[in-house]
Amino acid sequence: MVESSSKQLKSDALMDQMKLHLASDAGKELTKKINLVYQINIAPKKIGFDEVAYVVDLKKGEVSKGSYEGGKPDATFSFKDEDFVKVALGKMNPQIAFMRGAMKIKGSLSAAQKFTPDIFPKPSKM
Amino acid sequence: MAMRELVTGGAACAVPGSSSSSNPLGALANALIGSSSKEKIKEIPTSVPTSSERHFFADNDDHLGALDRSFVESNDQGSDFLRGFRSAGQGELSAAWDDIQRSQAPLPPQGRGSQTLIPELDRIYDRASLTRPQQPILDGPPQRVLSSFLHSFVDSSRGGVPFRPIPLPILGLSEGDKQCIRDRSSIMARHFFADKSEDFINAQVNALLCSLDIDGDVRAKGPLPGRFRELEDYWNESQDSLKHGAHAADEWVAEFNQQRTEHGDADAWAHSFEQQHGAIGWASEFEQLTSVDHMRGANISNFAAMEQTRMLANTLAQNDDPKFQNSKFLQFLSKMSRGELIIDDNQVKETALPASGDWAAEYRQQYNRSSAWADEFVSHGSDQWVNEFTTEQEQHGPVDDQWVNEFSKLHVQDWAEEFGRQVGEGALEEDSADNWASAYDEYLNEQVAAKNRSDTSRGLYVFSDMNPYVGHPNPLKEGQELFRKGLLSEAVLALEAEVLKNPDIAEGWRLLGIAHAENDDDQQAIAAMMRAQEADPTNLEVLLALGVSHTNELEQAAALKYLYGWLRHHPKYGTLVSPELSDSLYYADVARLFNEAAQMSPDDADVHIVLGVLYNLSREYDKAIASFQTALKLKPHDYSLWNKLGATQANSVQSADAILAYQKALDLKPNYVRAWANMGISYANQGMYVDSICYYVRALAMNPKADNAWQYLRISLSCASRNDMLEACDSRNLDILQKEFPL
Repeated sequence: MVESSSKQLKSDALMDQMKLHLASDAGKELTKKINLVYQINIAPKKIGFDEVAYVVDLKKGEVSKGSYEGGKPDATFSFKDEDFVKVALGKMNPQIAFMRGAMKIKGSLSAAQKFTPDIFPKPSKM
Repeated sequence: MAMRELVTGGAACAVPGSSSSSNPLGALANALIGSSSKEKIKEIPTSVPTSSERHFFADNDDHLGALDRSFVESNDQGSDFLRGFRSAGQGELSAAWDDIQRSQAPLPPQGRGSQTLIPELDRIYDRASLTRPQQPILDGPPQRVLSSFLHSFVDSSRGGVPFRPIPLPILGLSEGDKQCIRDRSSIMARHFFADKSEDFINAQVNALLCSLDIDGDVRAKGPLPGRFRELEDYWNESQDSLKHGAHAADEWVAEFNQQRTEHGDADAWAHSFEQQHGAIGWASEFEQLTSVDHMRGANISNFAAMEQTRMLANTLAQNDDPKFQNSKFLQFLSKMSRGELIIDDNQVKETALPASGDWAAEYRQQYNRSSAWADEFVSHGSDQWVNEFTTEQEQHGPVDDQWVNEFSKLHVQDWAEEFGRQVGEGALEEDSADNWASAYDEYLNEQVAAKNRSDTSRGLYVFSDMNPYVGHPNPLKEGQELFRKGLLSEAVLALEAEVLKNPDIAEGWRLLGIAHAENDDDQQAIAAMMRAQEADPTNLEVLLALGVSHTNELEQAAALKYLYGWLRHHPKYGTLVSPELSDSLYYADVARLFNEAAQMSPDDADVHIVLGVLYNLSREYDKAIASFQTALKLKPHDYSLWNKLGATQANSVQSADAILAYQKALDLKPNYVRAWANMGISYANQGMYVDSICYYVRALAMNPKADNAWQYLRISLSCASRNDMLEACDSRNLDILQKEFPL
């Protein structure tokens, strides 16, 4: 639901879609293939400020808001809202995002390497 | 101007009885670039000081204070050359020169202003010129020996040859000079050898320092006591005088402190830079060798970038995998860390190392710039500089912020270490080196694309370069006709010709916007629709189209504003709107109003359409689907409505239904690029990548400018393991793709 239009992140829409996607057959395939837990911190304007944490659990096939509570996620990413959208939609590849400093990564590098644009479903356009 | 004369070897600086290389900075410059360019250096104008230079020296005492004192006080053995230089005012300086020349004829330039040093230097001077006459590079006054020696170090670096210690005559370097050389050479070496190991770099530097009888460790890393206290005071002052810029200044200080504590080199760099901010000499050579970009506030981010990439390059270079060693990515990092590539305004730019022939021009440019920088930094007063930094940050906003922020917040070193450790453990998979390498190519491509697209992203309409419809007697009519026939890209050209002729024609812009939306280009659609709305602020179709496009772009606040505008300007439903609502829109209020409107006239398809868009915005897909289905009963031949239904179904993961709806839309309008692209998305989201590729290619064949489809195609190609086609995708070669993926 849109509570207040000013507090909305673009990433919220993608995360919602991801949640639905993981319940589909293709989503279940993805879970089987990747089998990792990512935490994604999304900041409206600046990395590190007013971050909203999402857990994309590709072990259980779930997306939830808030920090991961099942231990340590395999990799944690930090983005600005805009940049997360760019990466998830394939407009910017994750390596480039990292080079630019648009993506901050903590955790296992091999886990981070599996974080690619194809894991997110693409929104269709009206 | 005395400083310039020092460099150019002007009259006031010449030491009688010696050649032009008696000027230490000029000599060093000559040594570094070869003697052939001596004449060119002399071409630098020596008579007319620029206004910035004048400021720099005239205000010297007032504004250099903090930095100067810290330098002089904390470094009693420091370079007298510099001390004398700074303590003098503008007029005094040249007078002092004259004095000294009269009384101390064979004075080596370093000794100026210091009585105690002179006898010793004279002795060294004599000895240096007398000993080892058989060795040309070690011949002459100390500064010439020094510059030849440093020159050979630079040469060996360029060739990648290990540098060997050379016995040198005693050069009489002061502690300050030694420290300067020590700091700078360690930094320079790291830039020269960014792709070599730390051990190699240390060996090179140690060979250099050993020859010069400089202790490689003492104080090489740590700040001199007192200096940073002064500098911090200085910064605190500037913050106090500038309340509104306090945040930016804070960040700078934080960044600075972090650099200081975390990075030995950066520390030395900052410190030597501080020491030399006005005087040029080494500093400008260093700049020239590393980055020819100007030394302004925003550029601090480039140092950060260089520093970061250097560390990354270092860690990555320790990976023995030859594939990785040869990767373009590593070369890229290495280049970037040497300053041959810089990131400016979020674009990668190459800063070709200047050929020696261009040196003089480069030098002059550099000279002006660095003095301008010093000027900003010091002479104009701290607040102005901070101001500038702040405004620059505000102007460039997110772009410049990126690197600066990253540097202060990202704990780059942790990352580099982490990266290095994991690379060492073989965490990178077989093909990941290739991934990184190809990322570099893509990065550059993306920069070009980003540049071309940057206007649209700012909401400006971007016209096609070549337009055959310019000069057409009635391009609007032609455009409408082409649009009706479904020739979208042609219609776009005709309509562009129309709006070029009549910039205020709402219908031309509106149809142009629709054509772009159907061509799957929302950025251009939004830009055109904004112009249509300017021309006709209450046009309902325009308001709806803007609401839809912003919803597609996930821009919720903007979408809500336009959808609300649709209701407000509707002749029938406008009465539902209470005026106080328009300031702060809440989704729930707007949705309630539309539901009221739908109850008022349940047979108005348009209300149901807007309601459907609104539910998409709140991601209540079931309600959205119901609204569109209601509307379709009233308007079964509206192809864009079928596409809206399909997109909504696809976003709520009902892909099979979505494909049926898209098919309906395409039956009604075969050239509907958006529906073709949406088909591709639906197949891709179901993991049917090969099918998706065929649809994307089909969409692109109709509109090669649909960037989204190109991006999605690339993803699908990788997922379908068709990396053999990535090159065709990257070069946008539709012939190959169409042949390979027929629909």
